[in-house]
Amino acid sequence: MKKKGLVSTCIILAVAIFMACFAGISFYKKRHFVEDVVTEGSAVTRTEKLSKYNQYLANSFGDVDIYVLEGEEEGGSVLILGGTHANEPAGHMAAIVMLEQFKPTKGTVYVIPNICQSGLSHNDPLEGTPQYIHFTTANGDVRTFHFGSRASNPIDQWPDPDTYLHTSGDWTPRYENASKNTTQTLSGSEVRNQNRCYPGIANGTLTEKVSYAVTNMINTLKIDMVIDLHESSPEYAVNNAIVAHEKALEIAGISATINLEAEQGIKIKVEPSPVNLRGLTHRELGDYTDAFALLCEVGNPSQGRFRGYTDEALAITGKDPCYKVASEIHNGALLYVDYSSGDFPISLRVARHVATVAALIENMGFDYPDKEVIIDNVPDYQEMVDGDNLGLWLR
Amino acid sequence: MTAYMITFFVMVGVFMIGCFALKWPVGVSMLAAALCGALEGMLAHGTGLAQTLSDTIRMMVEGEFGYVDTILTIATAMIFMKVIEASGALDALSSLLIEKFHKVPAVLLILIMFIIMFPGMITGSSTAAVLSAGSIMAPVLLLLGLDNVTAGAIIAMGGILGMIAPPVNTAALVICAGIDVPYVGFTGPLLLLTFPLAILFVLLLGLPKVKNLDYEKLKPALVKQDATRKEYGVKIYIPFFVLVVLMIFFKVIAQKIGVDDLGMPVIFLASAIVGLFTGRKINPLKTVTEAVRTATPVMAILMGVGMFIEIMTATGVRGFIVMTCLEIPEALWIIACCISIPLFGAVSSFGACSVLGVPFAYIYGTYLNGNVVVCLAAISLIASVGDMMPPTALAGLFAAQVTGVKQYTKILKKCIIPIIILLVWAGFILVKSKMFAWSVFG
Repeated sequence: MKKKGLVSTCIILAVAIFMACFAGISFYKKRHFVEDVVTEGSAVTRTEKLSKYNQYLANSFGDVDIYVLEGEEEGGSVLILGGTHANEPAGHMAAIVMLEQFKPTKGTVYVIPNICQSGLSHNDPLEGTPQYIHFTTANGDVRTFHFGSRASNPIDQWPDPDTYLHTSGDWTPRYENASKNTTQTLSGSEVRNQNRCYPGIANGTLTEKVSYAVTNMINTLKIDMVIDLHESSPEYAVNNAIVAHEKALEIAGISATINLEAEQGIKIKVEPSPVNLRGLTHRELGDYTDAFALLCEVGNPSQGRFRGYTDEALAITGKDPCYKVASEIHNGALLYVDYSSGDFPISLRVARHVATVAALIENMGFDYPDKEVIIDNVPDYQEMVDGDNLGLWLR
Repeated sequence: MTAYMITFFVMVGVFMIGCFALKWPVGVSMLAAALCGALEGMLAHGTGLAQTLSDTIRMMVEGEFGYVDTILTIATAMIFMKVIEASGALDALSSLLIEKFHKVPAVLLILIMFIIMFPGMITGSSTAAVLSAGSIMAPVLLLLGLDNVTAGAIIAMGGILGMIAPPVNTAALVICAGIDVPYVGFTGPLLLLTFPLAILFVLLLGLPKVKNLDYEKLKPALVKQDATRKEYGVKIYIPFFVLVVLMIFFKVIAQKIGVDDLGMPVIFLASAIVGLFTGRKINPLKTVTEAVRTATPVMAILMGVGMFIEIMTATGVRGFIVMTCLEIPEALWIIACCISIPLFGAVSSFGACSVLGVPFAYIYGTYLNGNVVVCLAAISLIASVGDMMPPTALAGLFAAQVTGVKQYTKILKKCIIPIIILLVWAGFILVKSKMFAWSVFG
């Protein structure tokens, strides 16, 4: 009897060790997988390291590349952030498409497509998401990108506190009507949410260090506009929208009504940045830098709570039977996006981001000629949507 | 959707067969259910065999990590509990409380309830409340003449009300994060929701049995406790002081002065180490082994639950459950909310907040135009009942352990009336949230 028990214990132990090793290798590979961003043939003139703006980031997992696209003529400057939430692939991919396609002729465009590299390096437990997404380019190459987590990897900062007390650190507001309350209690896990840690703390957690570097970069380089690219679950109220700091509301409004809706038929809402919700790019970067701070949202069924079978196909096609049902019951009141088509492909989601960024940049130049940035080779919204293959817009 | 339903039945079926027919431990049954659900769901979806096996293994291990912090808290809390039990600290405290408050049993009961709630209030965890203050108060309740089941029921209800009471309510924080609402103004609604219930429940369950407390008759049963108290004096209470001081410092003060939170596991371990030197002689190796052995079944359940949720989500079963709840007519939403969230809590109460709490918060806070803060607070109270639902039933299972009740279901039965009262109270406030908008402060 004792021998039998020992044998079964050994078998269970062996199976557990095998599973742990198998999964461990998969986690290790994901942690160290490097996406190939193609700069050859693009307008990228140089790259910088983010640690240039926060020495405490040097040689850490958050010390990512800043891609600089400089036009021949001097002008304004724009910073585009992708991958803030790594489970929102259109935000990440739109930044990559822009850095590989945009050709500025005037002014400078800075692109950081993987601002939360730590979040890209793992997946959220309990969420059952894919590890990678793949796209086939026009010349037949298959390119692989991360599908990650909303939050930084616990390997980089653990454990989470019970509650996260957001503070503005040592920063001094640059906006005269900046929010007065400097602390706010948030859920403990939000301490790893890149978009709750602005303006950042120089020697704080990895997530806070990255946020600090971004804020410092904007102030050091006197960047005129910062645009943070996101996606949101279809049941989230802020959806298919531009969220704008008070300073940027006019630019966002004109972009939405004229450039996007009237000229291209893209319906998009404009939401003012809530003054009492702290740590977000559109609030803190507006308060603590001179830049116009904006955030773009587009509906993404692969991150929603209603979603059905979750795999790479869902992240790319946005086709989901549960969301289809949700769109048909209670007069569609459960969703904040039009899901009547039953899908929401990534080509459409990225196209919306590209068109929105182009419109915002154009309107900044229109309202403030000294901040003008002119960009050629902006992928056409309708062509991206009709092509229904994001790979065609990757090099 | 039909495919998701089939996967759902496969998972539930395998779990039931494992639990009831094969008499496997709950954690192992959940592992088997997750494995079968993953294989059926992925293969039926058309995923290749190699990919299915690879994803299944990866997701099952990934799912276990969903509860790694909770598992550490449980293991270390159990070590603390076993140390203070072996050192005689529990005996001494029971003797002291009964001596001081035996003339006012109702006040004593309410005091005990608040003590049980306290760790939950500052950690947002019913497990922390039940395993720390609950384990300390269990002998007191038993000495007062309560039977084990009633004592367990009081501790379990104290644990879940403590996790919802302010200042830290993790369930509400999870929903806040889901709909981007700042955690501001919750103190008032949470006080309103929890404290009246706490007083009501402890009196409802305990007062009939202690109102005629005769201290003279009780004295012979307290001989051992009194002797321990006299032998070691104030020194024996030091582990409690250390626990309370560290909790208050790291959960309430530390962040405000820029000090990192050590986390509950370290706090429990530090208090347990102090307990080794303040009372009876303890064999640390034996005590720690016993504690881990006691906590292992629950830790295994949490690992199984992690795998189960991950596979449910990946295969579309989670979406199927959410849509089934939301598809019902609008007039029945409140019933769906009060039933589905606690039932989903059988897998995880915080998971229920994220998966179902968020949509219901939108429905009541935005779509039906209620007061968002009051709605979220009420939904978090509804979600707390999940910690009483088997198989996880963290509050109930640990309350059974600290009071020596072998079958947890006896405690669940004893708690049915309080749970119904709780759900009616929370449901009423949820539906009439605007009426309670005055309570929003803090």
